[in-house]
Amino acid sequence: VTEIRIYSFMIKELCQQFPQGITDQVIQNDMPHLEPQQRAMAINKLLSLGQLDLLRNSAGLLYRMKDTQTASKMKGSDNQEKLVYQIIEDAGNKGIWSREIRFKSNLPLTEINKILKNLESKKLIKAVKSVAASKKKVYMLYNLQPDRSVTGGAWYSDQDFESEFVEVLNQQCFKFLQSKAEAARDSKQSPMVQRNSSFATSHEVWKYICELGISKVDLSMDDIETILNTLIYDGKVEMTVIAAKEGTVGSVDGQMKLYRGVNAIIQPTGLVKVPCGLCPVFDDCHEGGEISPSNCIYMAEWLDF
Amino acid sequence: MTAQEVRLCGLLLQEHFGDVVEKVGTHLLRNGAQHLRAIVQETGTPMDLVKKSLCVLIQHGACAFSSGRKGPGSPVEYQASFERILRILRYPRYIYTAKTLYGDTGELIIEELLQRGHMTMSSTVKTVADRLTLNMEEGHSMEYSEVSNTFSKLVETHFLQRCPPVEVAGKAVSATPDPATTPGAPANNTTPSTPESFADCYKVPHVTLIGRGKRRNSSEDGEDQRNAKRAKEDPETHGDEGIYWQVNFERFHLHFRDQAIISAVANKLDQTSSEIVRTMLRMSEVTTPPIATCTQALSANEIFRSLPPNYNISRPILDQYLTLLVDDPMEFVGKSGDSGGGMYVVNLHRALANLARATLESVVQERFGSRSARIFRLLLRKRHLEQKQVEDFAMIPAKEAKDMLYTLLSENLVQLQEIPKTPDHAPSRTFYLYTVNQLPTARMLLQNCFKTVANLIERRLFETKESKRLLEKSQRIEAILASLQASGAEPEQLTEVEEMITPPEKQQLESLRHHINKLDSAENQVDETIFLLESYIKAMKRL
Repeated sequence: VTEIRIYSFMIKELCQQFPQGITDQVIQNDMPHLEPQQRAMAINKLLSLGQLDLLRNSAGLLYRMKDTQTASKMKGSDNQEKLVYQIIEDAGNKGIWSREIRFKSNLPLTEINKILKNLESKKLIKAVKSVAASKKKVYMLYNLQPDRSVTGGAWYSDQDFESEFVEVLNQQCFKFLQSKAEAARDSKQSPMVQRNSSFATSHEVWKYICELGISKVDLSMDDIETILNTLIYDGKVEMTVIAAKEGTVGSVDGQMKLYRGVNAIIQPTGLVKVPCGLCPVFDDCHEGGEISPSNCIYMAEWLDF
Repeated sequence: MTAQEVRLCGLLLQEHFGDVVEKVGTHLLRNGAQHLRAIVQETGTPMDLVKKSLCVLIQHGACAFSSGRKGPGSPVEYQASFERILRILRYPRYIYTAKTLYGDTGELIIEELLQRGHMTMSSTVKTVADRLTLNMEEGHSMEYSEVSNTFSKLVETHFLQRCPPVEVAGKAVSATPDPATTPGAPANNTTPSTPESFADCYKVPHVTLIGRGKRRNSSEDGEDQRNAKRAKEDPETHGDEGIYWQVNFERFHLHFRDQAIISAVANKLDQTSSEIVRTMLRMSEVTTPPIATCTQALSANEIFRSLPPNYNISRPILDQYLTLLVDDPMEFVGKSGDSGGGMYVVNLHRALANLARATLESVVQERFGSRSARIFRLLLRKRHLEQKQVEDFAMIPAKEAKDMLYTLLSENLVQLQEIPKTPDHAPSRTFYLYTVNQLPTARMLLQNCFKTVANLIERRLFETKESKRLLEKSQRIEAILASLQASGAEPEQLTEVEEMITPPEKQQLESLRHHINKLDSAENQVDETIFLLESYIKAMKRL
């Protein structure tokens, strides 16, 4: 047994010599008299003591000296906890779901839950609610910032979609573009100049919104572009893309997006000026039935208006 | 022939021609082409009434006859035209357009022709002159020549056209058609000949009409009857016997379409651009066939010369406006070449599609709210989207977006397309994409419009029926008042008679009148939507 201890010590020294890690081959070269079985036992001992990290690369297994700080943190934990911790660490800032931890570690569910609770109490990991499925919790290391896809970015605060915030931004952008278009129209210059001056680049809109200061969160130009897209879907704004020199303010990949407020091309159509066009029970209405034009209450109200 | 269409046609026929014609007409609409005996048997109306109804329908162009399908010698078959009957809804719009373009004279000409169906030029001119004279001051009357002038102008711009001459029964089978000499409709071919296929369609006949309109006073009511009877036996000929004229609906429709395009341009861009488009459309009025996708190419030089004189914009400015029109995402105007300073066309089909799309969007917006309209427009743009993508692009919270999408789906405004990933269409492994198909949705909305108009007409009839007693009473009182006034009664008697209607009844009458007016104008408004959707669907069908 003491031999195993000596061998472990020697392997540890080797690891300290090669901080990037050593392979089986290196150990064998250094200590050719060591049998594979004893080598394995020595390495296992170091692993269980938490002083060695087991990694795998394309060539084979790699043993690396473990960081003493983290080694101390994990001192009270056992192998399973360390495994789980490693899996979570690997997931980076996207976090990992408890079921996936189970798949990767092959541990039973109850064990996983116990370990997770333990780690959380030790403040090593934290649970972050995902915005996509509100019941799902992903785990990640304590000091990591959760990724945008998990929290939803600027539009979500605490997993709630901020509709009023989006609405306010929507209206502000529209007002900005509308006033720009009106100013251009009132300037009475030649039509080409009028149209060009009624355009605003996405960069200008972004600057305007930032200066307005209505947002507590920093918004990027992409965010502003998604808001402007919703205005396009509202039919209030149209967009063109022009080529721009690289380096001009606001250009992305040599092009800029221009936005401009527009009016609708028709007035609300005739069908909607009549109660039938908006009637919720339109399909049930027929002469002689319970709902019919003769006894329609919507029509009666509309006629007396 | 959907149920809604038949119902609407039935209501229109009943209002304008009476119950018997309605019965015959709806029967023909429902059952397609039928011969006389079948109609008599199946509708249970006596033979002579059926004949008279068919005459009325044919006079108005709502019914056409052709030789039987079973070969020559089989009885003639009659077919009602649903489209023509629907036009009755649009009569007020035609008359109003004629008024704006050609003044009161034009308005009355069109009104007479719409009421009578087919008329000769001379009888139209006489009737219109008489009517105009009635409204003029004492001692003045309307010259026939003035009315003839307006009539000729209407024909020149193709608003009126000759009715296609009908083949005589005996000649039809044997004679080979020779369009140059005997413009007779060929009997053996099955394609219906359009009025335009005859060479003299728009030729005004040489008519000798000299005279002025006759004034008819109200005291000559009895004489009126006698005059009317005498007119039938009037042997006066004016050189245009047998040449009957009818209103050319297609031309009016082209005019309405142009108006819609011009107002869309005015809304989207500005007044000057719409004037330019109006000029372009006016120049290509008679040269563009009705089914064209875009007008003839017009060079910028021509457009510049044809602009109305009070719009003096310089040539470079005109070029700028044209460039802006071409660059606009709505694509009303396109550039087809560079000769003559640039050749420009108006994209008619594209404009109609845009107008139809705006109509659909407006219906969704008014009915379901602006957020649903946002989703609808988003789907129109991006064609196919998943549930999650819809939420992301429209920036609407997931729960609400789902709710709105399902509502739109249940109203059939949005369709679901399944794309399976695996051969067994397992729901968890299938893509579900939302999409909007513009043409089927437009068709569906058109049917809704028909039902709406039918509802409005029924409601109007119902309101009238409800207050029938009241209306009759008020009519009687008016008649009494009129006769008292004519025979010179004292004011006290008049007020006594007037007070026979109590104030609440007066109020009821007032509100009834208000209701009827509202329903009437609503019918016209829905008809505008019908026009846009119909034009769009027709344009798409021809592609």
